[in-house]
Order: sequence, then structure tokens, then C-alpha cells
Amino acid sequence: MFRHNTLRYGALVLLAAGAVAHAVTAGYFGLEILTEILILAILVLALDIVAGFGGMVSLCHGALMGVGAYAFALLSTKAGISVPLSMVAAVAITGAGAWVVGAVCARSHGIYFIMATLAFGQMAYSYVFEAPVFGGDDGLGGISRPDLSLVGIDLDDSRSFALFCLAALTLVYGAAVITLRSGLGRSLSGVMHNAQRMRALGLTVWRVKADIFGVSGMIAGLAGVLAAQHSMYISPGLLNWTVSGEALVVVILGGLGTLVGPLVGAAAFVVLKHEVSALTSYWHLVVGSILIAVVLSRANGIFGWVEARWGAKLDRRLADSTRGTEAQEVTGDA
Amino acid sequence: MLELQGLDKSFGAVHVTRNVSMKLERGERRVILGPNGAGKTTLFNQIVGELTPDKGTIHLAGQDVTGLSVAGRARQGLSRSYQKNTLFDGLTVEENLGLAAAVHTGHATRLWSDSLAKPEVREIVAEVANQVNLMPYLHAKVSEVSYGVRRQLEVGVALATRPMVLLMDEPTSGVGPEMSKGFHDLLNNLPRDLTILIIEHDMDLAFDVADTITVLNYGEVVFDGLPEAARGSKLLKEIYLGSWEDA
Ligand SMILES: Nc1ncnc2c1ncn2[C@@H]1O[C@H](COP(=O)(O)OP(=O)(O)OP(=O)(O)O)[C@@H](O)[C@H]1O
Ligand SMILES: [Mg+2]
Repeated sequence: MFRHNTLRYGALVLLAAGAVAHAVTAGYFGLEILTEILILAILVLALDIVAGFGGMVSLCHGALMGVGAYAFALLSTKAGISVPLSMVAAVAITGAGAWVVGAVCARSHGIYFIMATLAFGQMAYSYVFEAPVFGGDDGLGGISRPDLSLVGIDLDDSRSFALFCLAALTLVYGAAVITLRSGLGRSLSGVMHNAQRMRALGLTVWRVKADIFGVSGMIAGLAGVLAAQHSMYISPGLLNWTVSGEALVVVILGGLGTLVGPLVGAAAFVVLKHEVSALTSYWHLVVGSILIAVVLSRANGIFGWVEARWGAKLDRRLADSTRGTEAQEVTGDA
Repeated sequence: MLELQGLDKSFGAVHVTRNVSMKLERGERRVILGPNGAGKTTLFNQIVGELTPDKGTIHLAGQDVTGLSVAGRARQGLSRSYQKNTLFDGLTVEENLGLAAAVHTGHATRLWSDSLAKPEVREIVAEVANQVNLMPYLHAKVSEVSYGVRRQLEVGVALATRPMVLLMDEPTSGVGPEMSKGFHDLLNNLPRDLTILIIEHDMDLAFDVADTITVLNYGEVVFDGLPEAARGSKLLKEIYLGSWEDA
């Protein structure tokens, strides 16, 4: 069940402050990287909701993001619908699609669930690749960003767009917390701990899984919309399963089921990718080695590791100091 | 309130439930006795829908529920506890009870509000925690409390859906005599209109709480009647002595 603790709040404040500071000071290239991180962060939050809090390891979240991107691009460039309305519609369409995927896959578990989501993802990928309306291999271009000139913001400026994505990420994080703390989110946690018992209590388990998958899909769809607006051009590669795999790597690297961890993971992953790929084209080897080290360390990702060491300690210190007593020395791992 | 008619179940060549019928009136407390492997748990699994009987029907409050899913039957007012703890281990005692109460009150599937914070849910949690003596442990995780407390919680979770019919599978299994005594007080404190079917190995406890007794042996009902009649039954002694000798 999702809980905030001092460490999580602290990490959120640090991350937000870092992102804002970077957005204000960075040059063009730095802003591109920041935007990439923010969009990836939205996608991995979506994935953490289902995988970390519902045990539904999805290999179709990249495809869901692609569905959002293509839906937005088609609606806004070809159907002549306004940008804001297209954004809303794209998010809704992706959510509905994800709900169906969730409903169909809900009855399978473990490796079968992963394979079923992969199959859905690949179906979407090949459809987008083959159907002429999507522009095939050439993709779709001419995608525009929302017009906020009314409030004096020019989103074609990369600094403004980075801040726009940061605002979106903040909203998504809030939505994720509300979802996990809702009746549905609590039930999801019950299902992950013991689906048999939840069923025996009268819960329609597949519905809960499908509903949560739908919410997660909406978030992935938003990531797709922003990705399309960011590059102003999209191609079927966005739906490839490797994108889903990468998202999963980021969630595990950051800390599955912590919400904050995946944000850390997204930043670490993108920075690592750019830094290491500047030095060697074998950057996948480096990232792979780090992932293996994290997994073998038996910690729950980077943030999970930090939390296991200092999370409880910090809370106790704080509780002690607010009680006005001396902070007690805590020995051993919390 | 609960009526079983001709339930039959085989696993391959093993015939575990043989033409089992019984009828529980509203508020009746019936104890099922029987040696290890008699098919008691298998019978429960069929009543709640975790297993499908090969033959026979199950009626709950006059309605045929044989075709309903596990969740569907639970929503009709049927609840069970398990012989082997089936809890939400990583969560607190309060959250365990809250999840069950949330399903009952319809808050378990809402997206905009926290089910565990709802007054109706908190009320049920507090009431059940009192009924099964869990008040001191509400904020402890399941993994942090003793086995005996977990057994109480196992029943508490089943009670938190406010059932009409409660099935308890050996609630005292594995706990000491003192705790067993506690369970017996607990049972006697439950609302009188709650219909209870309970599998129990402890004969004293069984005779103490039972309005009626069913004895199962090799999947078959070999006794159905009042506790006084069962107490004197030679058959029952034989079955139980037999199982003790086997053990
Ligand atoms: N899923 C299954 N597949 C095959 N055989 C089973 C299955 N479940 C139970 N059995 C068998 O059915 C018989 C009855 O088992 P059951 O668990 O119902 O007995 P019980 O009366 O509850 O015993 P105990 O007092 O030990 O709990 C046993 O012989 C058991 O091995
Ligand atoms: Mg049994």
C-alpha cells in the first residue's frame, strides 16, 4: 500500500528543485535532455502503478504511449481538431484501449501476463506500421504544441516546453498518488498481496485490474502526446516493444513500487545514456551492467536501496525530535 | 439460510464429497466434525465456489448460487475463513480488516476517495476489531503479530464483510488451549442472527458452540443431529479414535 515518508517527500522536493533549476539555467541541449527525462518519468510512473502496485508487469506501455502519440497526431493534424481537444481525446482513447488490454490480460499471471501484454503491444506496432493512415515507416510530421500565447507562454521555446512537461509530470504524480490511495488503489494492493482472499471477500478482481490498467494507460497516453509534441514528428518505432522494455528497466533501476524511485530512475537512465554514449557507442553494455549490479544487490533499485538504509531512520529521528526527546541512536539497518 | 443438496466431488479416482446435504436455519450454529481428510475443507471450497461440485446444488437465503462466482456468492452474504491463514501479509491488521469492509460497503472500487478513510469502513473495522480482540494490534503488520493473533484476524477479515452466513475452517487450528477458550467466548459473542458453519477439531469447543452437528467421514455425512445425540454416538467415538490411532 502506498505511503509517503519523510525521505520520499524530501526526494520529491529535491527532484522538483533540481528540475526547475535546470529548466531555468540550462542551454538548448540541456533542456532537450530534461524534457526527455520528464516525458520518460511520466511513462514510468504509469508503469509503476500497474507493475509496482498491482504486480502486472506490462510489456505494452511503450505501445500505449505510441497509441497516445499517434491518436494525438492524427486528430490534430488530419482531423482538424484543436490541439487541447486532441490531447484530451488521445488520453481518453489510450485509456480505453488500455482498459481492454487489462480486462483481457487480467486473468493471466506472471510470465503469461507479460507475454499477453507483449502480444497486444506488437499488434498495435504492426498495425501502425502497416496501415497507410499512419504514414508507415515515414511516420507523421507537422505536429504542433498547444498554443498558450494567451497567457504569454510560447511553448515552441524549449525552456517553456520543458516547464510545461514538468507541470504535466507534477499533475501525473498527484493523480498517481490519488489513484493508489483510492478505494480502487487499496483494492489493487489487496489483490497483489492475496487475490484469492479479495475474491472471497466479494471483489471482482479482473475489474479492479482493468480499471487500474485504464488509468495507467491514460498516463502513458499523455506521455505519448508530450513525446509527439516534443519531437513534432513520430514514427512507429515509438510503439516497439523495446520502448516498453526500456521503461521496465527504468522502473526497476529506480525502485519498483515506490513512485519516487522511477523518477530517479528516469533521470539516471537518460543522463547515463547521454553521458556514456558520448564516450562509447557501447553504452547499452554500461547501462546493462549497472542494471545487473542493482538487481544482484537485492535492493529495490536505487531509491529502494536509499530507503532501506535511511527511510525508517529518518522518520524515527523526526518523530523523536518532534516529541522533544533526544534523538536516539539507531543501530543496524532499519 | 444455507442449504446443500446432494453435493458430490471427485478428484480423479478419489471421491472426496459423497452426496452431502444439509440445511442451516437462520442463526443456526452447526459444527462439522470429521477426521483428517474427511473432505471438510473440500466441502467449504464448494460452498463458497472455489471448487465446482460434480453434482448437487447450493442455496443461499433461498436463492440458487451454484452457478455464481466466488465473488458473487460473497456479495450475496457468504463469507469464509481459511484453515491456513489467507491474509494480506505485508499490510497492517487495520488494513486487512479495512479491505474487507471496503468491499462490503462498495468503496473498494471507487477511484476518487480513500476507502480506508470512510466512516462506514472505519466503523466496521473498529467493531470487528473489538469482536475478535484485535484492538491492540491494529497498526501492526500481519508479519509482526503472533500466530494466534493472525488466527483471530483470519476470522476478523471474514466478519468484516458483514456476512449472513459465516464459514469458519478450524479457527483454532494450531493455537494453544487458552486461545481456544478465547475463541469460544468470541463465537458466543457474535450476533445471534449470524448463521455459522464451523469446522472444528476441538470436541469440547464443538459441543459448546454447536446447535447442531454434522459428522463427515470419507466424504459422507454419517451423523446429522443435536450435540447431545452426537456425544453419546458410538460411531463418532470410533471415527475419532480411529483417526487418532492413524495419526
Ligand atoms: N485439489 C485437490 N486435488 C486432489 N485431491 C484433493 C484436493 N483437495 C483435497 N484433496 C483430497 O481430498 C481429501 C479431503 O481433503 P480435505 O482437505 O477436504 O480434508 P479435511 O477434512 O479438511 O481434512 P483436515 O482435517 O486435515 O483439514 C484428502 O484426501 C485430500 O488429499
Ligand atoms: Mg481441512
